[in-house]
Amino acid sequence: MHTGAFASVPPESPRIAMIRFFVLFLVLLAVLFGLELTPPVQEWFVVPWTNALARFSAGLVTLFDADVASNGKVLRSTTNNFAVSIEAGCNGVEATLVLLAAMLAFPASWARKALGLVAGILAVQGLNVVRVISLFYIGQWNRDVFEWAHLYVWQALIMLDVLVVWLLWVRTLPRPGGDPPLPPGAAPAPA
Amino acid sequence: MARSAMRSLRPPRLSAFVLAVLAWLPLSFAVWYFAAPLLLWPSVLAIEGVTAAAFHDLVRGIEQTGATVTFTTSLRPGTGVSGGVVTVDVNLLLYSFGLPLLAALIIAARETAWKRHLLVGYLVLVPFVAWGGLADFLKNVAITAGPQVASQAGFSAAQRETIAFAFQFGSLILPAIVPAILWVLLHRRFLERLRAAPLVS
Repeated sequence: MHTGAFASVPPESPRIAMIRFFVLFLVLLAVLFGLELTPPVQEWFVVPWTNALARFSAGLVTLFDADVASNGKVLRSTTNNFAVSIEAGCNGVEATLVLLAAMLAFPASWARKALGLVAGILAVQGLNVVRVISLFYIGQWNRDVFEWAHLYVWQALIMLDVLVVWLLWVRTLPRPGGDPPLPPGAAPAPA
Repeated sequence: MARSAMRSLRPPRLSAFVLAVLAWLPLSFAVWYFAAPLLLWPSVLAIEGVTAAAFHDLVRGIEQTGATVTFTTSLRPGTGVSGGVVTVDVNLLLYSFGLPLLAALIIAARETAWKRHLLVGYLVLVPFVAWGGLADFLKNVAITAGPQVASQAGFSAAQRETIAFAFQFGSLILPAIVPAILWVLLHRRFLERLRAAPLVS
């Protein structure tokens, strides 16, 4: 049974630490997602966040394309009227909740968690801005490709981003009892 | 064999792993898309089983066409309509895009048991894809089809809330998070070696 990646501080059985992590992660995720769906959170956080994402994306795009405007959660081309509306699942909130639950559930100090969350949320939301802007242009080019990129490809890429951010963060955490010796024949590898 | 053993001992590089995942994704997406009728068939069977057990009054028949499942219901489109019943089409690709992601992650990790991991991952994902498809159907008849259809379905307010949550969780969270959790669980040894590798060479 290989569960050492979940070894925690204070030391406990890696297997128990792993189970604790996954149970806590799933409970936190369900609670956070349930909260996200409540009307007050939608009204006071999700909708303003989504509108700000549309404004920020439009602001970035206007650096190289002046024919773009945002209205609420909609990003619109002023030349051909093509528009994308940033809906649930595309505003990066769910991906952020997954990262939040994964970092809060993993055994680490609160300072490490806070640092990881700040950097991780920036990374996830940064890639999400790339998703919104790329979909805006892909949609003007080809609707079939837009559907594919929107419904399948970008969903997978955002989750890959969350996983990579979490893996990077886990790698930065101090290991309980110090680093174990590398296996025989193993060469150090760059990140 | 010796090379494989050495590879399994060497600390993996995260950057190389991510590049490998990105390289495998186009192929895994292509295989998933073209093999969808076959890959999704067990999920359709699971949906049929659940509807037969729990919603037999509501669902008269289920038919798979490619990646689309058509639910034929016992509901009428409206009170003034004499003939016809409500049918609901659900695109199961929406709930199974985690399959190609999981495949790319597993292959990129280059573990010796990758074939077994692919099989286990696929089998575990089958009920979650079924969850998404079934929740999508229920959301359609209980909420989005309108009051005339929803009233015939006979769901209470609490049941509609549960269906709404199951649909949102099954479409926004599960399709992406289950493959990631599965991959972590199946690659604890890989993760341990990844964590042991120094951040900077």
